[in-house]
Amino acid sequence: MPFDTEEDGMSRRSFLRTSTVLSAGVAAVAAGLAPLRKLGEFTSVDQFLQKYYKELTPQEMKTVLERIETEVQRQYGVRPHVRDYKPMNGVEYVYALNLTRCVGCRKCVHACVAENNQSRNPEIQYIRVLKMPNDGTFDMDKGDHNYAPKSVPEPGFFFMPVQCHQCKNPPCVKVCPVKATWQEPDGITVIDYNWCIGCRYCEAACPYFARRFNFASPSIPSEQLNTNMSYLGNRPRYKGVVEKCHFCIQRSRVGRYPACVEVCPTGSRKFGNILDPKSEVSYILKNKRVLVLKAELGTLPRFFYYFDI
Amino acid sequence: MAKGWQDGVRNRPLYWPRDYLMNGDPKARNVLALLTALFLALAVGFALVPAQPGAPVRVPIVPRSALAIAPMTVRISAAQLVKSGGDVSGLDCYACHHKESPPEIKSDAAHRIVLPREHTDLILGMRNCAECHPPSDPVKLDYDDSGNVIVPKAHKGLVSMAHGRNFRNENCYNCHDRDQLDQLHTPDGEKLKFEQATLLCASCHGPTYRDWLAGAHGRTAGYWDRSAGPIDRQECASCHDPHAPAFTGLIPMPGPHLLHPLPKGQPAPSKPDDHAL
Repeated sequence: MPFDTEEDGMSRRSFLRTSTVLSAGVAAVAAGLAPLRKLGEFTSVDQFLQKYYKELTPQEMKTVLERIETEVQRQYGVRPHVRDYKPMNGVEYVYALNLTRCVGCRKCVHACVAENNQSRNPEIQYIRVLKMPNDGTFDMDKGDHNYAPKSVPEPGFFFMPVQCHQCKNPPCVKVCPVKATWQEPDGITVIDYNWCIGCRYCEAACPYFARRFNFASPSIPSEQLNTNMSYLGNRPRYKGVVEKCHFCIQRSRVGRYPACVEVCPTGSRKFGNILDPKSEVSYILKNKRVLVLKAELGTLPRFFYYFDI
Repeated sequence: MAKGWQDGVRNRPLYWPRDYLMNGDPKARNVLALLTALFLALAVGFALVPAQPGAPVRVPIVPRSALAIAPMTVRISAAQLVKSGGDVSGLDCYACHHKESPPEIKSDAAHRIVLPREHTDLILGMRNCAECHPPSDPVKLDYDDSGNVIVPKAHKGLVSMAHGRNFRNENCYNCHDRDQLDQLHTPDGEKLKFEQATLLCASCHGPTYRDWLAGAHGRTAGYWDRSAGPIDRQECASCHDPHAPAFTGLIPMPGPHLLHPLPKGQPAPSKPDDHAL
């Protein structure tokens, strides 16, 4: 048997065959993994090994914030100020929106995009303004968000902006398999963008259509980047994570009004501390006719709609 | 006889990949060879074309100037907004200028008001009649048969009365003093100065004034936390023209489009269930 000499070891022919197949296999695996080389530009080892937000010590958080600042600077050419704003004691945020006054001009939508560094393409917006027929129901399915008349308001319709309701009983937090989203003591439901795995369960669980998913890497023109950033808020998101309204955490937690409140030309949007009896939201909840969207779901939103009359 | 062979027949199982390549099913062998060639070609391709980050997409986006007020620097930046040529239709002079220390109004040789350069595109409402009609030179009013004031043609577009349309309407004198137009008075006779115009509004619009005092009516900016900073409130006349207080319509900003820009001529999706994000 000249061609089978296994007992003596390996023949020249079988060695060549085996080594060819092996090297081809190695090359094939390398080819398959080649796209991962791109990952190095977006994911550093530190970022990959970063701990859960709640487990970070202050010193570690400082390192993380500096790393994020460097990442943003590398990507956008602007060095931002990324801070980790903590909730204040004795503060619970509540939002009130006057449906009698809202005219549906969508200024809040675009102010929010500018303030919170949402992706411009593909477009991500936290606020969705619905044009609702004046038929006495609050059925969101009847709303149209693509309205484009020459002038608003339109007779026969009212306008209802919908954004994250910062529920006291949030379904989105319940379904998160990795606890990447949770409710803070001041009532804001936040997301750790470095911990989110992008399963989108929360997006499906939200009855208010408030969560958005980054299908692609966000694109923001550098000159429009808002450099006042917070870790849980408006720092640039990654591809494959979920984001949503956070009451402009980088503004509200230093005592300022969210961008949508300040930009509203009709003064329909009101924001404040519900634990302060002198705040405007306390006054509204005490004195106005107040509506909660989809109250039957038991989500207990901190976002109220009210009427003047 | 070699180990594993008996009368030319295998007596041990095939193991991958050597035996498959040498003795296995020729179909499987061909498939394996094809796949190997494919991945080799891919490897060569990846090696030759180094990975490069895609160029950032420049998208025509809603310009910041389209917002009446930039969200980061609300109200403070109103002057910058005027300078940058933004939409100033919603602005009031007192957003920048303090009522206590009004800007000095300069006049040219023909006694016309000289506008600063950054105000050239600002349409100055004739809120203060005394700018043209000083108290030393009072205006003589003409009335039509039913006792309404005849507004001179030169004032067309400056003063349009759409306020106080009820049976007790006395036109200008609902609010202005009969003898001195720059003095105000409430319906029950209380005299007020121009700076107290909000109280004048309150004399008829009590519930709205109550809401405004509590912060529930009108624009707010600045700080919700009064210990952290001031709240920026607007008075009635900052937003409402006292002569025509109802708001006119606003042009809505663009609606949601998942991707920018839409191809030319393609209308926006109109169904609300288009599953756009």
